Amino acid sequence: MKKTVRLRVNGLEQEVSVATHHTLLDVLRREFKLHSVREGCGIGMCGACTVLVEGKPVSSCLLLAALAAEKDVVTVEALGRQGLHPIQQAFVDHTAFQCSFCTPGFLLTTKALLEENPAPTPEQVKAYLAGNLCRCGSYMKIMDAVLDAARRLQPANANAT
Amino acid sequence: MRVFFGMRDIDILEPRSVEEAVAALAQHGDEAKVIAGGTALVLMLKNQLVSPAYLISLGRVPGLDGVTYGAGVGLRLGALASIRQAETSAVVRQHCPTLAETFGKVANVRVRHAATVGGNVSEADYASDPPCVLVALRARAVALSPRGRREIPLTEFFRDFYETALAADELLTEIVVPEQPAGARQSYLKFVTRSSEDRPCIGACAWIDLDEAGVCRELRVTLGAVAGKPQEFAEAEALAAGQRLGPDLIGQVAQYYAEHIDPLSDARGSAWYRRRMAAVFVRRAIEQALGAGGEV
Ligand SMILES: Cc1cc2nc3c(=O)[nH]c(=O)nc-3n(C[C@H](O)[C@H](O)[C@H](O)COP(=O)(O)OP(=O)(O)OC[C@H]3O[C@@H](n4cnc5c(N)ncnc54)[C@H](O)[C@@H]3O)c2cc1C
Repeated sequence: MKKTVRLRVNGLEQEVSVATHHTLLDVLRREFKLHSVREGCGIGMCGACTVLVEGKPVSSCLLLAALAAEKDVVTVEALGRQGLHPIQQAFVDHTAFQCSFCTPGFLLTTKALLEENPAPTPEQVKAYLAGNLCRCGSYMKIMDAVLDAARRLQPANANAT
Repeated sequence: MRVFFGMRDIDILEPRSVEEAVAALAQHGDEAKVIAGGTALVLMLKNQLVSPAYLISLGRVPGLDGVTYGAGVGLRLGALASIRQAETSAVVRQHCPTLAETFGKVANVRVRHAATVGGNVSEADYASDPPCVLVALRARAVALSPRGRREIPLTEFFRDFYETALAADELLTEIVVPEQPAGARQSYLKFVTRSSEDRPCIGACAWIDLDEAGVCRELRVTLGAVAGKPQEFAEAEALAAGQRLGPDLIGQVAQYYAEHIDPLSDARGSAWYRRRMAAVFVRRAIEQALGAGGEV
């Protein structure tokens, strides 16, 4: 069955007709061509399909698209519109990826973390990012990048970024 | 995972009030499934474990997402409060830190943001964390149907694997955690065997009420993830009443649990392994609740 819903993705509202059983992941990739949102496990464990809904990271593979109507959905495409976002720049500077399949999920989860907790300890970073898997094993560099991004985003350092 | 082969057409209903939601559930009964956060239900749909004609979404139902505390009442967790909300709630942290920590041990931060307290309890998965602790705290589920409102003690709510005391037309509206006695302390240990954010191989909750002299008035121990529902043995708990909880007594209780559970085997551990780990984690949970044991 199809349902017409109004989705707000990266600030743009659009009416789309979605199958009631399609997930937000399906629709973001097929209708919106937002290919930063990736299917890894399909069961909410790996974090490759992370998007922000109302500012909070969720697995888009577990959210029916029709139930995301009228909510603010953000993908990584919205981050780098005016040059790289400081979090993205920190990931680049620390080479915090190898194949980069998991990177969009890490970036968005980091964004949510730093909004909740602008100066996390390494333990807090680990706890918040525990559900994002990097099969290349770049975790140490990701940790460095996240802590560095936190420093760069501190108001006092705004000019340095 | 993304092929919905042979799945029937689903209509999504979005009631705007609790009354509308209850009416929709009464009208469609077996043909309908309630969907809250969807983190469990979407997986069931993907795997065709359920194939409802209607999904009744609670996403637009107001008033069910509060987390509050009332003196004499205790904590009230609205069914639609997210697990993350319960984890970070100042009143839950203040009045029952172990419960807040337990919600914080569920899955990963994405699931905790999307999943609801009511969905976690209603799913009644044998390997969930909060049910074990909520049973030990003697929490109650509030259910609403066209026949009215009733309270179900969580000790009776969980029936078996994915089976609860909720009738097909009942909506879970909140979980009430009663005020705990002044001398009560708890702990919950989640033992994972694969990765930090996995479901538990064993979850062990100890609840101890001590008098001023440090003598145990009452001990409760619930074990999760070993069988279809949280396991609790009154005979073992009774050993502790009126006693000081020393190493021998704690060992006896732990041994009783290990011997009397009928553990299952799954990818997180065999029945043999679970039995051995049950002895270890019951002991550690009691020690931690007493403040005697360190971190695991
Ligand atoms: C990757 C992953 C890891 C997980 N790890 C853990 C873990 O470590 N520990 C743990 O405890 N859990 C874990 N879970 C399970 C998770 O906690 C549940 O999926 C979640 O709590 C269900 O809540 P929901 O709001 O998403 O429910 P939904 O998926 O919307 O619903 C679940 C079930 O409850 C019913 N239901 C929902 N709300 C109501 C209501 N108000 N009244 C009546 N029926 C209702 C639905 O019909 C459905 O049958 C994990 C899940 C995932 C996907």
